[in-house]
Amino acid sequence: MKMKRLLACLLCALMVLSLAACGGNSGGSSDAGASNAGSSDAGASDAGASNAAPSGTVHLWATGSDNVRQVFETLVETFNAQSDSVQVELNFMLSGTGTQTMVDMLAAAYKSGQTNTDYDLIDLGGDDFSRLLSLIGTEAFLTLDSAKMPNAASVDAEPAEGADILQPYRGTTVVLAYNSETVPTPPKTLDELVAWMEANPGRFAYNVPGTGGAGDAFVRTAVYNYIEDAEAWSSDDEKWMEQWDSGFEFLASIHPYMYTSGGTVTYPNKNQGALDLLSNKEIDMCPMWADMLLSQRSAGTVPQCMKMTTITPSFTGSLQGMAIPTFGSNTEGAYEFINYMLSAEAQQILVEKMAAIPLIDTSEMNLDGVEDLADLDVTQFRTLSIGSLDTYFNERWDNEISTLG
Amino acid sequence: MIKKSKKMLAAYGMVLPAFLVVMAVVAWPILEAVKQSFTHPDTGTFTLENYKFFFTTPNEIRNLLYTLYVVLVTVFLAIVIAYLLAMYLRFVKSPISRAIGNLYLVPRFVPGLVAVYAMITIIRDSGLINRISQLFGADVELGMMYHASGMITMNLWFNIPFAALMITAGLGAIPDSVIEGARDVGANRWKVFTSMVLPLSIKDVVIAGTFVFMSNVGSFTTPYLMGGNSPKMLGISLFDQFNKYQRYERAAALSVIIFLICSVSAGVYIYTNLKEKEWEK
Repeated sequence: MKMKRLLACLLCALMVLSLAACGGNSGGSSDAGASNAGSSDAGASDAGASNAAPSGTVHLWATGSDNVRQVFETLVETFNAQSDSVQVELNFMLSGTGTQTMVDMLAAAYKSGQTNTDYDLIDLGGDDFSRLLSLIGTEAFLTLDSAKMPNAASVDAEPAEGADILQPYRGTTVVLAYNSETVPTPPKTLDELVAWMEANPGRFAYNVPGTGGAGDAFVRTAVYNYIEDAEAWSSDDEKWMEQWDSGFEFLASIHPYMYTSGGTVTYPNKNQGALDLLSNKEIDMCPMWADMLLSQRSAGTVPQCMKMTTITPSFTGSLQGMAIPTFGSNTEGAYEFINYMLSAEAQQILVEKMAAIPLIDTSEMNLDGVEDLADLDVTQFRTLSIGSLDTYFNERWDNEISTLG
Repeated sequence: MIKKSKKMLAAYGMVLPAFLVVMAVVAWPILEAVKQSFTHPDTGTFTLENYKFFFTTPNEIRNLLYTLYVVLVTVFLAIVIAYLLAMYLRFVKSPISRAIGNLYLVPRFVPGLVAVYAMITIIRDSGLINRISQLFGADVELGMMYHASGMITMNLWFNIPFAALMITAGLGAIPDSVIEGARDVGANRWKVFTSMVLPLSIKDVVIAGTFVFMSNVGSFTTPYLMGGNSPKMLGISLFDQFNKYQRYERAAALSVIIFLICSVSAGVYIYTNLKEKEWEK
């Protein structure tokens, strides 16, 4: 009898522990995205799609946060409404750990020699694109034929690598967001910014690197500004890690002037954490994604007095584009959709829905509420892709900077 | 005989699905994690390095102590406040106590993330309290955000209703006759509390404490949104090791460490339960 009781208690305890374990993680990370990744397999469906005149279904693959999904749904809907022959079907993977999955799935499909898959058209941005190139190389994608997408002629912007296989359609960049009421003349250079920080301690913040791209851009450019060799900017070679020291010394030197809470310097988690501090006027400046600032300002959650500026040397920006895998099954239809993405109508949707930086001539567009976009020149963007070095980078920051207290 | 064994089979059949689920999603991953925690990341051989890291690196030791500090303060405050609340609900009969009795569970039905953001809006340096204070010409900056005090406040919000629920149930089981009997033989209120109410409810207090302890050791949402960068709670540290640094072996070791910390609490829980069974015999 006693044995049974003990057993029951042990089982009970095990369940309690498992409950505790679940409770600890619930609602935590945004890893939920991982679960919907595996659902649609790379299996070759739509094998019968023709390659001649644009027709049939185009399977578009994209990944990102939920606002990206919403924009894509609108774009696909409007495209499908006006196209008779080609219909686009969106396969969207919410970012989180799922981000890796799309790149990994593509790499796996290519390496296992699959053909005629439903990877007809892929939406790719800076880091994902360079990771994919390093995994499977450029020959996995079609060299784009501009004759098949006439609208591309009006786009000047080119990605740093793989320009002939990736057609950019929008830009994103990190800018310096500031409160124009308290900072009438924003700094123009990094040196001026540092001087301003020293004069106004506690009024600047950047988010913890690894929790959001704005903080990443700030610390990485700060460190890589000290590296003379331009090659380092697009290399994941571990030899560059030796040259991070001066940059980290710089970050340590500005640490005392950062935002404080309860008497100690604190870095907020996530881009939104920094933006919340700015909109609550607890700080006057922070690095921020242009589109986050503008779309939240239009929505009214960020006050109108929050403006943006770029400094020299600038933070990083990147181009989002589309590529056509050689192992897809509807090339002509894919061209059709890329062409649509570069039309005035699609660009206008991108501006309105996500304050994306348009790549076509902005003079013909309606930039109400997001006029700041007209000043951003995508051809001047600096891109930094250090691949897997970012893991070491974030760890070093966590160990050396955040522990300064 | 056959009938009996049939019954037995039916009983096992009913337990089996739950047992298999526990084995597959709890026991098996735990075993795998324990195995991985002793594996060297590069060579794949047996090593204690992963554990050594957490007990020799100053930052990691600080994280561990900080977590214990936050959790123990949470447990202590939550239990004391919940006990007082439960006593009030048990022994004071008034419309107000009935209203509180109905309302105190409401926080259980508010989604965690919503609650955390609500708390942030109130206590942050530019939050509700700050803005109200500005109306009176003061500028109260609580400094609770990114600070242990903010996290503990949030934990109390989550755990007091839960602990009070358990303790109220325990206090409710004490018959009025016991207390009346003690009063009749001349015991004063303090004596009734120390010799009757407290001993009869201590088991529920301990169990509530173990539950609060376990649910907070590995907490993530609150420290992620409200905690500072350093020292950080173990839940965040684990997330960083796994997601940010991709050091899976260290993450496994840290999981085991968190598991062992929880086991202490689980041990107390089992001990308390067994002891009560002895007493009932």
